[in-house]
Amino acid sequence: MTHLVRRGVFVFVAATLSVARAAAQGTDPRLERLDETTRPVVIAIVDSARAAGLPVNPLVERALEGATKGAPAEMIVGAVRRLAAELGRARDALGPNASAGELTAGAAALRAGAGPDVLTRLRRARRHQSVTMALAVLTDLVARGVPVDTAATAVLALAATVRDEDLVEFRRAVERDIAIGAPPAAAASIRVNAAAREVRPGRP
Amino acid sequence: MFDNSDDAVERVVRQLRRPVSIDPGLDQRVMQEIAALPQSAGRPAAPARGVWRWLTGRREVRLSPLSALGIAAACAAAIVGVWRMRASLASAPDSALHGFQFVLVEPGAAQVSLVGDFNDWDATRTPMHRASGDGLWSTVVSLQPGRYRYAFLIDGRHWLADPAAPAAGDDDYGAPSSVVTVGGL
Repeated sequence: MTHLVRRGVFVFVAATLSVARAAAQGTDPRLERLDETTRPVVIAIVDSARAAGLPVNPLVERALEGATKGAPAEMIVGAVRRLAAELGRARDALGPNASAGELTAGAAALRAGAGPDVLTRLRRARRHQSVTMALAVLTDLVARGVPVDTAATAVLALAATVRDEDLVEFRRAVERDIAIGAPPAAAASIRVNAAAREVRPGRP
Repeated sequence: MFDNSDDAVERVVRQLRRPVSIDPGLDQRVMQEIAALPQSAGRPAAPARGVWRWLTGRREVRLSPLSALGIAAACAAAIVGVWRMRASLASAPDSALHGFQFVLVEPGAAQVSLVGDFNDWDATRTPMHRASGDGLWSTVVSLQPGRYRYAFLIDGRHWLADPAAPAAGDDDYGAPSSVVTVGGL
């Protein structure tokens, strides 16, 4: 009888663990929208990312974007794989405690050309604040034509002392200047100096 | 003398060996009297003590594998439910929604959809509404902090980036996208 009880307990524990794991790590139902060629490869990449502790929602969204835009299977798989690698590099640069939003923004900044050291320095500069917006502003400036080194220098100069709202206002000011004809690099340099003077009044 | 004595013993033995008829209600009367007695000479057993003895006493539990699987599934569902509830509670302070208005001027469009990371790139989920007769399309979406890529889908065929927003540099599919970033995370 004791043997029967032990076997029942073993089956119970094993089944509990396996069912709990399957439920927690089950395949994202949104991926059913992918075709049969793309789906298993994307699921494998997503599972690897999850096992590595990376956020998987950006990967799923990138795959769904490709499906909605009618991209071929190899293009979707390549995009998801590349993003997973960038998320990993962003995590290496920002540290293991970086949030999903920070990693997503970090991956985009890396794609824009910022080096991992820029991410690390931003993390240090905003040790107790999120770096999501700072990284997003950096990436957006590069997209507007500001050289990546100039954009990184500008954001690093402001990151330690200003709020997210100030960073957004800085980006808008640079965009306005570019829209009326200012060279992107000059616009960023002028605006960052102006913003720094506002933070430290009395200095030229 | 000895013979007479043996006979007497024999008679006694026979008498003792005779079956005795017992009153059928005897057992019931005895049990009633026992039940009426106090449970112990000292303090009476509290009900909680009896429950505790029942809970801690060793018992044999027999389960079929199917029953074990069923109980396991129920426990797994409870564990996952608690885990998800904790995750949602933990993220609650950061999950403040921000309403964002998206607008597009596209006079020639018969239908415009807002499609992006916030609606799983589902073209049917966020249709834009014609805000005026001169081709202004608009919709409002609630967003949690984060970075979102999106685009407009015109008449179900043509993709268009938001001219009023930064372009997504990490475009992998050849169709332009834009980016909106919500601070706080």
